[in-house]
Amino acid sequence: MMRRVLLLALIALLAPLPTGFAQTDDTVAMGEQLEARVFEISRKLRCPTCVSESVADSNAGISIEMRNEIQAQLQAGASEAEILAFFQDRYGDWILLEPPRRGIHLVVWWLPGIALAAGVIGLTTLMVRWTRNAQQATHEAQADDADLARVRAALQGDSETSS
Amino acid sequence: MTRVLVVLAITASLGGLFLWGLLRGSPDREVESARLNRQVISFDLPLYPRFQGTFGPTLNLATELNDKPVIVNFWATWCGPCYDEAPHLQAAWQRYQDDVLIIGVQTQDRGKRVEGEAFLDRFGITFPNVIDDDSRVSIDYGLFGVPETFFVRRDGTLLYKHTGPITLDKLEEKIAELTAS
Repeated sequence: MMRRVLLLALIALLAPLPTGFAQTDDTVAMGEQLEARVFEISRKLRCPTCVSESVADSNAGISIEMRNEIQAQLQAGASEAEILAFFQDRYGDWILLEPPRRGIHLVVWWLPGIALAAGVIGLTTLMVRWTRNAQQATHEAQADDADLARVRAALQGDSETSS
Repeated sequence: MTRVLVVLAITASLGGLFLWGLLRGSPDREVESARLNRQVISFDLPLYPRFQGTFGPTLNLATELNDKPVIVNFWATWCGPCYDEAPHLQAAWQRYQDDVLIIGVQTQDRGKRVEGEAFLDRFGITFPNVIDDDSRVSIDYGLFGVPETFFVRRDGTLLYKHTGPITLDKLEEKIAELTAS
């Protein structure tokens, strides 16, 4: 009887353990997921006090506070777009590492394509012109009938001398 | 000859662009405030104990704006230029405290109360100073660094943001604009 009571007591003691571990695992996973989201969003924001660094990469005090703010807003249920708009409202478009696709910012998006197209067109034009010039030069350098006759005569003279 | 000129023109343009990039300084520090001519965000921050007798335990910007225009100056104890401008701010306060309220905000300086008290003692600061321990207000004001000074009209809109240490001349110029608006 005593053994059975001890066994039941042991089972009762151990029973909550798996659930407890599961809850801890869930909490850790949720924490990691939240941290990943914080860094994902902060990678899109520029550190205000650094040079060419994102809020995610910077350890400046203001960047740490901005990451804390992002975390607080995520926990309050804000979306990524809402969080980015929050910072944009305070710092302007400057704070976004990826410029918005509107207004003057479109230049940043279109300029590389325009430059590439201009480069390809320019190079093609140059290559066509150079090839044409080379062909023309070859054509101009062609021998006329008098030259050919002189070469034939010279060759004939050579063969007679050798025989 | 034309080909040489084209190559020279391209090289000169790229070189010029490169030099401009090198010599243009730190333009990011001069970025205009996104809040210019818009409502600034109010704050309610704890005051240093020496100012609590006049203002209470915290200072609320919206409440103070009912009375007169406000100059909000952000500073930190580790910031060298903040030491340069502090005497100018105190001089402006002594001259114009009937016309404007100057508020000092210690920010990006978490937990540095003792150092903050020493800063206020050193310059005999008598205008109210509050503590933005978690830098939340500095984010609300879109701060790029310290010192920065914001001139807020009585209607709560931003007249001007000054980046870097401010002088008495600049303070007087902007106070005149604030009181005229």
